[in-house]
Amino acid sequence: MTAAAIEARGLGKDFGSIRALDHLDLEVREAEFFGFLGPNGAGKTTTVHLLATLLRPTRGTARVAGYDVVRDDLQTRRRIGLVFQETTLDRDLTVEENLRFAARLWNIPGRLAAPRIGELLGQFGLVERRRDLVRALSGGMRRALDIARGMLHEPRVLFLDEPTAGLDPRARRSLWELVQRLRAASGLTVFLTTHYVEEAEPCDRVAVLDCGRLAALGTPAELKRAAGVHSLEGVFLARTGHALAEPSAA
Amino acid sequence: MRAVSGIVVRELIRFLRQRGRVLASLVRPFVWLIFAGAGFATVFTGAGEIDYRRYMAPGLLGMVVMFGSLLAALSTVTDRDAGVLRMVLVAPIRRSTVALGKTLSATLLGTTQAIAVGTILLSLVRLWPGCAGLLLAFAAIVLSSLALGALGLLLAASIHSLENFAGVMNFVVFPMLFLSGALYPVRRLGPALHALVYLNPLAYGVDLLKHALLAGWTGAGYGGEMPVALDVAALAAFAVAGLVAAARLLGREKGVTRAAFRERD
Repeated sequence: MTAAAIEARGLGKDFGSIRALDHLDLEVREAEFFGFLGPNGAGKTTTVHLLATLLRPTRGTARVAGYDVVRDDLQTRRRIGLVFQETTLDRDLTVEENLRFAARLWNIPGRLAAPRIGELLGQFGLVERRRDLVRALSGGMRRALDIARGMLHEPRVLFLDEPTAGLDPRARRSLWELVQRLRAASGLTVFLTTHYVEEAEPCDRVAVLDCGRLAALGTPAELKRAAGVHSLEGVFLARTGHALAEPSAA
Repeated sequence: MRAVSGIVVRELIRFLRQRGRVLASLVRPFVWLIFAGAGFATVFTGAGEIDYRRYMAPGLLGMVVMFGSLLAALSTVTDRDAGVLRMVLVAPIRRSTVALGKTLSATLLGTTQAIAVGTILLSLVRLWPGCAGLLLAFAAIVLSSLALGALGLLLAASIHSLENFAGVMNFVVFPMLFLSGALYPVRRLGPALHALVYLNPLAYGVDLLKHALLAGWTGAGYGGEMPVALDVAALAAFAVAGLVAAARLLGREKGVTRAAFRERD
């Protein structure tokens, strides 16, 4: 049995009277490609923010890369990469300046940061754009840079929160190729949230989230078999009683 | 420390790329010197004892510091809008480190702008305060930039939209300027307004600058009006209080993630 990269026990979060995440028990294994599938408003982003120490849980506990997200928040943040739904790059800085800024924030010494940045620029196809301002980049390239920055400090767990939102199909495809290459190269654990079933298909395991609750958990094949359907879309419908594309009754 | 330097370097790069902001910060005090100086000089009762434009010099430097460091705080608001603040808050550093980095950036920007303007301004109004005076002026500029930068950050951390921030800034900036002694001695204000002066960080900065630059006119009533030690202590207190409060506010989860949660519903 491999160690858990992410472990949540009864994790929950309320915003005032809104129960964003009800009760989550979850274990994501080391090096796993884990999909978190659910409609908008299901609590996916809240879960990511809880695991990334940006929110304090209302109840329950969570450990990421072996660290408690409340007690050891700095240690946790040191070991995770987080790519938000919307880009968090500084548009007025160049590609390289954004990476250098992040390197300083993550306390990577200059002599280590320079080769690492060079390596990432190569890996993410950004070498020729290194001196361009971020505002001049296409959406796909910005996303690639967001992920490159998330990988700068060689995290053990990479959170991708709806990473393909707003990207055209070609940019999406190249993004997935990139993620697969990263996983193959580093044994990285990837925690992906998405509301697209086709993005959850290649995952090792998928958790289906609806209205802040876990509706199903397993490999895509297991889930389909158990529900007697041929698609994850069908799994969602069978487990929640409504279609993934429709807004859930929160 | 590397994180603090990272934040400072980024703010510097951004500042230097905003040519309009650089130009405005350098030209603004001279616009005041020429236009406000010309107008106020005609009604200035100290005429004969001190040239009004010379009297204005410490106040104008205070104004440069104020605009420089308060506008630097604006970057925290734009960072929140652009999402950069979230990235900074997910880095493995304490909120107080973020607050310190932002405040030191504001200090550096305020100080550099004031020194650039001061070099020209002092020769224009032919004010030669000597080495000790220049050193004290430098200390006054650094301390005021620090205090105003910390308070600017506190404003930016508590105000979440750019429009709101701009509105509040206008509301803060002008009373602060008029109650600072930059344009006239504060002892001439009525007791109620004079009491407000003690709440104004810029007043201590300008006063310290007057001690530094107008020492020769103290006897005539145009130099510093409060004790130097009080100026220094008050500026330090504003800086520390601003930093501590801003660090706490930056750490409030509402500032970063709840907005995102609301957007999605």
